[in-house]
Amino acid sequence: MSFDGHDIPLLAALIAAILAPLAAAFHVSRGGSQGAPRTPAMIALLVSLVAGLTITLFWMSGPEVTLELGQRLGGGYLVHVDGLTAVLLPFVGLVELAIVMVAPNRFLDGPATVRILLGAATTLALFSTAHPLVLIVAWVVTALPTWWSTRATAGGQTAARVYAIMMTLAVACMAIGTLMMIADPPWEAGGGFLGASGGWLVALAVLVRKGIVPFHSWYPALFRGAPMSTALAATMPQIASYTAVRLFFGHADHGDGVGAELVVLSQLALLTATYGAALALVQRDLRGLIGTLAMSQSALVLAGLAGKLPMELNGAFCTWISSGLALTGLGLVGWALESRAGPLSLETPQGRFADAPLLAAFFLLFGLSSIGLPGTLSFVADDLLVSGSLDEQLHAGLLVIAATVLSAISVMRGWFMVFGGPSNLDGPRHHLLPRERIALTALFATIVLLGLWPAALVRELERAGSDLLGVPVEAHGYDAAAVGWGTRR
Amino acid sequence: MTFSGAALPVAQLFGSLESQAASTHAIVSLLVVLQLAAPALTLFLVGLPALVDRPLSERATTRFVGGAFTLAFLAGLATLAVLAMRGFAPEQVHLGTWFSVGHHDATIDLVADGLSVPYVCFSTGLCALVNAFAGKYLHREPGFTRFFVLLTLFGTGMNLMVLAGSIDVLFAGWEFLGISSTMLIGFFHERTNALKAALRAFTTYRICDVGLLTAGVMIHRAVGSGDFERLFNGVWPNGHCLVSPGHATLISLLLVFAAMGKSAQVPFSNWLPRAMEGPTPSSAIFYGALSIHAGAYVLLRCEPLLDAAPVARGALVVIGAFTAIHAALVGRVQTDLKSMLAYASMTQAGIIFVEIGLGFRVVALVHIVSHAILRSLQILRSPSALHDRHELEAALGGHPGAASWSVVGMLPERTQSWLYRVALDRGFEEMVLSRFVIGPVWRLLERLGGAELAWIEWLGTRPEDRGRDTAGRRMQGGWR
Repeated sequence: MSFDGHDIPLLAALIAAILAPLAAAFHVSRGGSQGAPRTPAMIALLVSLVAGLTITLFWMSGPEVTLELGQRLGGGYLVHVDGLTAVLLPFVGLVELAIVMVAPNRFLDGPATVRILLGAATTLALFSTAHPLVLIVAWVVTALPTWWSTRATAGGQTAARVYAIMMTLAVACMAIGTLMMIADPPWEAGGGFLGASGGWLVALAVLVRKGIVPFHSWYPALFRGAPMSTALAATMPQIASYTAVRLFFGHADHGDGVGAELVVLSQLALLTATYGAALALVQRDLRGLIGTLAMSQSALVLAGLAGKLPMELNGAFCTWISSGLALTGLGLVGWALESRAGPLSLETPQGRFADAPLLAAFFLLFGLSSIGLPGTLSFVADDLLVSGSLDEQLHAGLLVIAATVLSAISVMRGWFMVFGGPSNLDGPRHHLLPRERIALTALFATIVLLGLWPAALVRELERAGSDLLGVPVEAHGYDAAAVGWGTRR
Repeated sequence: MTFSGAALPVAQLFGSLESQAASTHAIVSLLVVLQLAAPALTLFLVGLPALVDRPLSERATTRFVGGAFTLAFLAGLATLAVLAMRGFAPEQVHLGTWFSVGHHDATIDLVADGLSVPYVCFSTGLCALVNAFAGKYLHREPGFTRFFVLLTLFGTGMNLMVLAGSIDVLFAGWEFLGISSTMLIGFFHERTNALKAALRAFTTYRICDVGLLTAGVMIHRAVGSGDFERLFNGVWPNGHCLVSPGHATLISLLLVFAAMGKSAQVPFSNWLPRAMEGPTPSSAIFYGALSIHAGAYVLLRCEPLLDAAPVARGALVVIGAFTAIHAALVGRVQTDLKSMLAYASMTQAGIIFVEIGLGFRVVALVHIVSHAILRSLQILRSPSALHDRHELEAALGGHPGAASWSVVGMLPERTQSWLYRVALDRGFEEMVLSRFVIGPVWRLLERLGGAELAWIEWLGTRPEDRGRDTAGRRMQGGWR
C-alpha cells in the first residue's frame, strides 16, 4: 500500500520501538547510567514494548493492509509492517524486557547492557523489513553481539567458536544466496537456475541459523557457554524463521504459495524437533536441557511454516510466540536459580525446592506452558500444529506428536531433578526479588491470557498467513487442494 | 403466517413448551457452568496467593476447597433432578467457540446427560470428603497448600473431562488429570523413590496421550469438528454412531490406547503400585477412585463408537482380562498394604474394561462407582488399619484371621512355585519393557548425547589445541 496520513502514528510507534533501545544503549555506553544500567535499559525496552503493542492495536483496529515503504528490492520493501510484524514486535519487546529485569546484578554491567539493547533494536528493525539486503545486514549485526558476549564469558570460548563457525557459514550463504535471488528473481515468472540456486543457498543459511540437523550443534553449545541472556536473545526471536517467511512465501513457481525450499526445510525441521526433544531427555545439566528444548521448539516453528493449511501456518506462528515466551521464562528461572545456587546438574536430584519454592513453581508453570498445558497459548499452538500436520501428512503429524511427548517428559524430568531430592532444610531460602517476580509473572500472565482468549491473536495470525499465502481468509476451506492459493501480491 | 382459531391453542401450547424447554436449558447450563467454575475459581483463589508467597491459612484453604466441591456437588444433584424429570435427555451446553482457523473450530461444549451428571456428583462428592480428610491428615505438612492446589486442579480437570461435549474439552481435562496426578505422586519430592515414581507415571501418561491426541485429530477429520453430537447421538447408553465403521474402529482403538495408560492396563500398569508414594488422600482419590477410572469413563462416553467397532471391543476384553488376571496374581504376593490395594484397583479396572468391551455399560458405571467408593475408603483407612492390626496381633499373638485356604494352594507345588516367581517379578512386565524397549532407547540416546558433546568440543577447539589436555578450557558448568 502507499503511505498516507493514517500511517503516521503507526510509523511513529515503529520508530519509537527501534530507537528507544538504541538511545538507551548510547546513553549507557557514554556512562550516563552511573553504574546502574538496568534502569535506562528497562525504560527503553518498556517503551519498545508499549510501542509494539500500539502497533498491534493500530493494526487490529485499522484496515489491516500491509504497510510498505521505502525502496523495494527483490520482492521486499525497506519498511514492511503486516500482521506478523504487528505480533512479533511486542513479543520481542516483552522477551528483552524480561531478560533485563531478571538478569543478575553481577552480570548486567554496562557493556552487557549495551549488547542486549543493540541486539533488541536490531531484532526489532529486522522484524520491520522485508528488504533482502537489510535482512543480510541484520543477520550480521544480530550475530555479532552474541559472539562477543559468549567469547567474553569464562568457559565460553568453545561455544563462541562453534557459534562463529556456524554463523559465518549462515551469513555467507545468506548473502550469496540473496544476491543470486535478486539477480534472477525466482518470485517472478521465468526465474532461472541462478535464482533457484540462490534460493537453496538461503535455505541452507536458514537451516544453519535455525539450528536444524545437521547444523544444530551451536544451539545447546550456546546455552551452555554463553550468558543465559545472550542465548535467549539470540534464539527466542527466531530471525531465521522470519527470513524464511519473507523470502520463501509466494514464489511464482509454486501454486500453493510456499517455496519448495521451505517444504524441504520443514522435513528436516520435523526430524530436528523430534531429535532435539529426544536429546533433551538425556541432558546432564539444566542449560543443556533448555538448549535442546529450544532447538526442538524452534524446529517445530519451521516445520509448521511450510504448511499448506492455514491452521498449520497459524500453529507455527502460535508456537513461535508461545514457545518463545515459555522458554524465556524457563531460561530466566534457571538463570535466577543458578545465580543463587550455582550450576545445576540433572544427573542426580539437586533438592532445590526448599531453597526457592517460588522458582520451583515458576519453573513448573513455564515448563508446562512450553509443552501444551491446557489454558496456555502452547495448548492452542499444539492443537493447530498437530491438527494441521496430521491433516496434511500423517508422518508429519506423528513426528510433531512425538516431539511434544518427548519434550514434556524432558521438562518434567528437569523439574524433578532440579527441585526434587533431599534438601538442606537449614540452608538459606531464596526469595524472588520484586523485579524478578514482576517479569516472570508478566511472562506467565501473557501466556495464560493468550491461551484463555486466543481468538484475537489467532485471527490476526490467520490474516497474516492469508496475506503471505495470497488467499483471502474466507477462502480457507476444508479441502486444501481446492483452495486456489495464488502468488505473492 | 396467521393462525386459525383451532390452531391458536396448539401454537400457544408449543410456544409454552418451547419457552419451558428454553428456561430448563438455561437452568441446566447455569448449573453445569457452576460445576466447572467452582473448583476452577478456587484453584486461582488458593493458587495465586501461594504464587506471590502469601499462602492462605490451612483453615481458609480447606474451607474454600471444601466449599467449592460441595457447591459443585449440590449443583450436580440439582442438574440430576432436572434431567431426571426430563427422562435424562442430554442437554448440550455451548459456551462459545474458543478459537477457529479455517475449518478447524475449537468449541467449548459441555454435555449434561445420564452419564456425565451422576459421575460429576460422585467425583465432586468424593473430592469434598477427601478434602475434609486431608485437612486433618496433612496438618502442618510443608506442602499443605500445594496439595490443595493440586486437588482443585484435579477436580477442575475431572469435571472438565466428565462434562466435556467435545474431544477438545475432554483432552484439556485429561491433561489436568495427568499433571495433577504426577505432581501428587512426587509430592514428597525429597524422596528419590517418589520422584522416580512420578516420572514413570508421567511418561506412561504422555505416551498414552498420543492416542487421545490422535483420536481428537481423527474426529476433527471425520466430522469437521470435535463435537460429540456430530460423532454420535441418542440417550446414553443407547447412542447411535454417526461415522463410518472404519472411522469408528480407528478412533475407538486410539481411545482404548489412551485409556490403557490412565487405567493402568498391561503393559502400561507398572506405574500404579509406585504411585502410592504420594500422600494417602491423593492415593485414595486418584488410584483408588477417580483417576484410575478416567480411561473407562472416556470409553463409556464414546460407547456408540465402540458399538460400531467390534475389533476395539475385542481388544478391550482381551486387555482387560489379561490385566485383571495379571494384577490378581501379582497383588497376592505384595508385602505392603498400599501396593496390595493398587493391584486390587488394577484388577477391578481390568474387569471394568471387560464389561465395557462386552457392552455392559450400565454395569460398568455401577461397578466404577461402587469400586471407587470402597477402594478409596480402604486406602484412606490403610494407615490406621495397619496400626490396629499390629495392636491386635500384639494382643492375641500370631496372625489372627489370616487365610488358611486358597485356590492356589490346591495347585501342584511346582506350579505354585512358578506362579509365585511370576507374581514376584510382576509378570515380567517391567523386565521386558526395560530390557527390550526403555534400556536400548535410553542407551542409544545417551550415546547420541555423548557424540554431540564430543563434536561440539572438537569443533569448538582450535586445530592446534586439538589432542592436548583441554580440561582447563572445556565448557564449564558454571552459571553465566
